[in-house]
Amino acid sequence: MAGTGKAHLHPEGDALLRVEDLLVEFPVGRTGLKVNAVTGISFDVLPGETLGLVGESGCGKSTTGKAIMQLPRPNGGSIAFGGQELTSLAGEGMRTLRTNIQMIFQDPISSLNPRRKVTNIVMEPLNIWGIGTPEERLKKVNEVLEAVGIDPERAASSRPYQFSGGQCQRISIARALVLDPKMIICDEPVSALDVSVQAQVLNLLEDLKAKFGLTLVFIAHDLAVVKNISDRVAVMYLGKMCEVAKSDDLYLRPAHPYTQVLLNSIPVPDPKVRPTGNQRVQGEIPSPVMPPSGCRFRTRCPIAQDRCAAEEPQLQALGDDHYVACHFPLRTAN
Amino acid sequence: MSDTVIEIPSRPNIITSLVRRIPPLRKWKFGLVLSVSYIVVLTFLAVFANVLPFVRRYNVLPKGAEARRLASYRGKPSSEYWFGNDKLGRDTFARSVYAAQKTLTIGLASIVAALVIGGLLGMLAGYYRGWYDRVLSVIFDVLLAFPAIVLALIVVGRFFQGGRLNLGVFEMDKRFFGVIVVLTLLSIAPLARIVRAQTLSLSQREYVLAARGLGASSWRILVREILPNLLPAMFSVAFTGLAVLLVAEGGLAFLGFSVQLPFPTWGFMINEARSDLTKGGGWAVFFPCVLLFLTVLAFNVIGDRVARRFDIREATL
Repeated sequence: MAGTGKAHLHPEGDALLRVEDLLVEFPVGRTGLKVNAVTGISFDVLPGETLGLVGESGCGKSTTGKAIMQLPRPNGGSIAFGGQELTSLAGEGMRTLRTNIQMIFQDPISSLNPRRKVTNIVMEPLNIWGIGTPEERLKKVNEVLEAVGIDPERAASSRPYQFSGGQCQRISIARALVLDPKMIICDEPVSALDVSVQAQVLNLLEDLKAKFGLTLVFIAHDLAVVKNISDRVAVMYLGKMCEVAKSDDLYLRPAHPYTQVLLNSIPVPDPKVRPTGNQRVQGEIPSPVMPPSGCRFRTRCPIAQDRCAAEEPQLQALGDDHYVACHFPLRTAN
Repeated sequence: MSDTVIEIPSRPNIITSLVRRIPPLRKWKFGLVLSVSYIVVLTFLAVFANVLPFVRRYNVLPKGAEARRLASYRGKPSSEYWFGNDKLGRDTFARSVYAAQKTLTIGLASIVAALVIGGLLGMLAGYYRGWYDRVLSVIFDVLLAFPAIVLALIVVGRFFQGGRLNLGVFEMDKRFFGVIVVLTLLSIAPLARIVRAQTLSLSQREYVLAARGLGASSWRILVREILPNLLPAMFSVAFTGLAVLLVAEGGLAFLGFSVQLPFPTWGFMINEARSDLTKGGGWAVFFPCVLLFLTVLAFNVIGDRVARRFDIREATL
């Protein structure tokens, strides 16, 4: 897995967001080494679609999300939003265009300034851009707060720590919505929340998506969560793309051994079921400072062969909008 | 059984809601109350020294028989001269009160100047990082390593030796200004380092990232998102720093680098009388020392309390 290639991209112009050969590296101190956080991944998101981005910790999901926002700028590759190239934009153009893409973060507490009133936090985008009169701003803020299920009156007099985690995440969503963005990148928006609250926030995201005509990039490590909310799912491993497919297709008929392993790791709510050895992935994720040659998953892959070390697999079509980067996919093209 | 009378609580009016904001008395810490009262009284005395009837002028010299009775430290603390008299027979209490004016002004001016300069530099270093941070860090390190006494010698002894300094609105004694400059220079580096470290961690918070995604300028992020979260730490450091500066001023005065005219600082008073400890100068040293000690203690207690108060807010997060 862990391959490159662009076979899975839709024709140019169809997609709202088109990411090609995205490269993000971080220097390791002054050693001259670098962390290959994201190495040449490509994907696109169609208007109105929800793309799920999954993978285990450290695979570069969040880095990808932040790179789309140009925070920080990627080291290479191209990111086109609505036909406009983001990586070459600078200054005012960047600042303006960036408001079309908003982000919701994993930690609901850390993503809100603890010393400001909630109403002011949600109003900040309008203040930054000087939109409307103060009364109009307040009206808009209260509308959005109500849309996410936060009492505007309470928001006016409270600070973030007076709300629960789920409510804080709703406030984050409200702040992201207030500028009417086209796309929202949700960076593990529910992984810090209780399961019951998770469902509430996910349903809210679905409702808002329909109401405001949003396109979502949904980053998560919880496959069950991603399955329900995504139209298409992209599986990442160690900064590379493994498999892209329609959500149901991916879950029913995974083609990549890594996807298979991930799916097997979803806990079954039955105490009699015991995990069997061959369903578990062995070992630790290799260091992104010195990634394995060829297919990056080969060190842990149950079916790896010599070819996997020598040659990096490219994404290949399996039909029905299903693409996999593996030399020995678990199923072949129809 | 009689009917139970249910008392309907009246709607809270503005006064009761205001009163409720003041924590109940038992929550007030004894040491804090004492410290705040002490500072308030001291400040009151210092500010109104000129008009208060029971404070003599700092430069009243006794004459004739009076002089023989009081001069050369013969005047002991009494109901007439509360803190006794100094070598020339002047009222030590009056001089201490006037000295408080000068000592506190020096301390406050230095700490405020250091907070503004050090805070700004620290914020910029922590936020922009890179070469900016490296250059500033080197400067801070140099400032920290530079011997304080040599700095005082250069600044006060060379540039602000004597005479008046005219700064447009303010006209002041050159040495007075020199001492403030020295103390400010000495406190910039430690303050800037604290602010830099805080800014480093704060600027990694996700709300800063979110603000940047919303198109906020760096300046706006610094002022709106980072500065409010820095203030608690800066406040508590300021109080403790003020206490340190009061002692440092005493040290400078002890070495002869402080202000004498028209009236002294505590440090100068201590220095003036210390050589006469065996000739009865004990009281003239004792009282400025006590005032200095109590003031430093009070500022430390208040600073501690301020820090803890903000800590509680953080802990609820």
